[in-house]
Amino acid sequence: MWEAIKHRETGQIRSNSFANRFKSRRILSLQLSNRKDFVSPHRGSVNSLQVDLTEGRYLLSGASDGSAAVFDVQRATEYEASGLIAKHKCIFTVDKQHENGHKYAITSAIWYPIDTGLFVTGSYDHYVKVWDTNTSQAVVDFKMPGKVYRTAMSSLAMSHTLIAAGTEDVQVRLCDIASGAFSHTLSGHRDGVMSVEWSTSSEWILYTGGCDGAIRFWDIRRAGCFRVLDQSLTQLGVRPPILKQKAVSIKVSAAKSSLGGQNRLKTLQSKNTGSQIVKGSSSAKASVEKSRQKRLHPGMLSTLDRATAHYGVVTGLKATNNGMYLLSAGSDSRIRLWDIESGRNTLLNFETGRIQTNKAIQLDTSDDPALVFVPCMKTVKACDMWSGRATLMLRGHFESVNSCCFNSSDQELYTSGADRQILVWSPGGSVEGEMMQDEVAEDKDNWSD
Amino acid sequence: MKRKTNPESSASGAKKRRREEEDEEVGCSHAGIEDETISEDQCRLLQDDLTFSDTSVALRMMRAQLPRIDQASVPPFILQSQLYSSVNDRTQVDRELECLRREKVVRVFKLNTGQDDHAIIFLDDYLKQVDRIVKRMEEKKQNDLDIFKWFKEHVLDSKLEPSIGHHELFSLLSLGGKVKDAHITLLINAGLLTRQLVDPDMYWFTIPSIGKLWKGLLQGRNELLSMLKRKRHKEMFLAELEKKRLRYSPLDMRFHIRDLIGSGHLKTVQTTSGLIVRISRD
Repeated sequence: MWEAIKHRETGQIRSNSFANRFKSRRILSLQLSNRKDFVSPHRGSVNSLQVDLTEGRYLLSGASDGSAAVFDVQRATEYEASGLIAKHKCIFTVDKQHENGHKYAITSAIWYPIDTGLFVTGSYDHYVKVWDTNTSQAVVDFKMPGKVYRTAMSSLAMSHTLIAAGTEDVQVRLCDIASGAFSHTLSGHRDGVMSVEWSTSSEWILYTGGCDGAIRFWDIRRAGCFRVLDQSLTQLGVRPPILKQKAVSIKVSAAKSSLGGQNRLKTLQSKNTGSQIVKGSSSAKASVEKSRQKRLHPGMLSTLDRATAHYGVVTGLKATNNGMYLLSAGSDSRIRLWDIESGRNTLLNFETGRIQTNKAIQLDTSDDPALVFVPCMKTVKACDMWSGRATLMLRGHFESVNSCCFNSSDQELYTSGADRQILVWSPGGSVEGEMMQDEVAEDKDNWSD
Repeated sequence: MKRKTNPESSASGAKKRRREEEDEEVGCSHAGIEDETISEDQCRLLQDDLTFSDTSVALRMMRAQLPRIDQASVPPFILQSQLYSSVNDRTQVDRELECLRREKVVRVFKLNTGQDDHAIIFLDDYLKQVDRIVKRMEEKKQNDLDIFKWFKEHVLDSKLEPSIGHHELFSLLSLGGKVKDAHITLLINAGLLTRQLVDPDMYWFTIPSIGKLWKGLLQGRNELLSMLKRKRHKEMFLAELEKKRLRYSPLDMRFHIRDLIGSGHLKTVQTTSGLIVRISRD
């Protein structure tokens, strides 16, 4: 470590890489924190966690007993064990006793991306509520046609404040806070929508994953989705290959035609006529299909596309921060990495073992040692994003883990699960720890009979 | 790499042993080149090895080791979870399998077990199986056998995925001639296509007469897991486990061990007295 500081002083490494080196080392040494603890007021499994996007200071959690709580991550409310253990109690909580509180489980609690003055909760009681943080009052209510599985707001949005809500209904609804009404609905899924995620590169693009196993890309300014991800469309590598030159294909076809003798030409001709006859009948069929398609609005043509991204329900979606890749978790216990530009499966195999199948899970990513934090039953596995190997296995929960949230400014991971706990994982081996060990070493020689 | 001889043609035990030695020679040369850390006491026969260096080596090895159950007449298949347990890097397995699939060397089938099971069969074996079915149907004096020819020529050649939609199937078969619904029923009866509960509009390619082995696979998995769970520490030596025989499954023990290690239910730990197989508790 002192070597690195010396290099920084002499200018051999730049300040960015100096900071990143420390951060990566800290992230790779994550372990259950023995300095910090959240006192969870929830009486049901905690379904959703999010740290606010503006300061990275407040943690919002939503639980199955209809309660949502806010914690301060940086300042503890009290200290125990002579100042060594920081206990963070919740700043406030809204639950069933609240006059406008949710009546059933809260599945998703997110902050308003612009500031921490508002937060949005979605629940199994078919409501999406927007709350004012300072007065703890529900400001706007949206009634959905089914249980709300996931809500999301775009962190890049400059011109809209839309909440995308995925429910057990086949349509994704966009709710507008400014007007208090629904702005529009997105149809195309054939079953409920379990995960919703806005793009990190464009404020108009939304990714949704459904219970039918399909992942659809929507541009909310247009009708219908513009892409459906298909797991059989693959690319070997994380970037699509450069297209081969067209000249090669022309050469090949020229060679083929020059090879043909009389017999070959005859057989080719007969094959052509044969296929033409067949084409007649198939073109009749094709025209029938086209007329069937013509009856649909061009935006709805995507409903005919039944490609699936997973052999089961898509339980979690996460777009990487550089906007190039999308991670999806499915109930077939697979995590897939998709290249957003080409829409193909990069065939990365993440060593995660079994994943929870009945509930939505929340994945998170870290940028510098590109890791994906995946909740796999009772453990959280941190897998390397480009090779798929599990680098860290974090065991601490007593029941299955539902969500992970990574705080990149402090390099801490917050996880929550069905055991009603919110656990903090912080980098082990701190400088203070080393200093403490030195003191103990000195005292060892100071003894007498 | 030379092509292995067809396992169907070598019925006698002596021939099988010779072929295995052949495999071992080729395999050892591969192992020698790629893995220099093989120590003297670890230089066992490659066919007894649990991990291989390359996906295609692993595929050919495992195909050679599958026991012949003549009354079932199923082509030798390998499960994808077995490949994961045999090669170190799962992503490499997926990518190489994709390359092999695109080059039409192997075909991948999705098995209807409820979990994410895929079976891999070499294309030659599969085509031979289709031919055998056609011959059997001819003997039973079924007519309309052109459908199998169209199936082989048009559908198998162009559709490399494990499933196919109804309209696409119709249009591809129509490239051969006029297709009726009765033809598709014939294909389903022959065991080449099936439907699964997931989607009513999709047909899935299947391995013909897989039923007995499929049932054996499920029951064998349960039996092996319960055998290990009954032990006090839920573990057993690999050498000892391989000697046992499963009552409910015609497939051999090594098949099931590889499959369960690849799907994550079991894990192997290297100890001073050899490999131990343990139930993974995650």
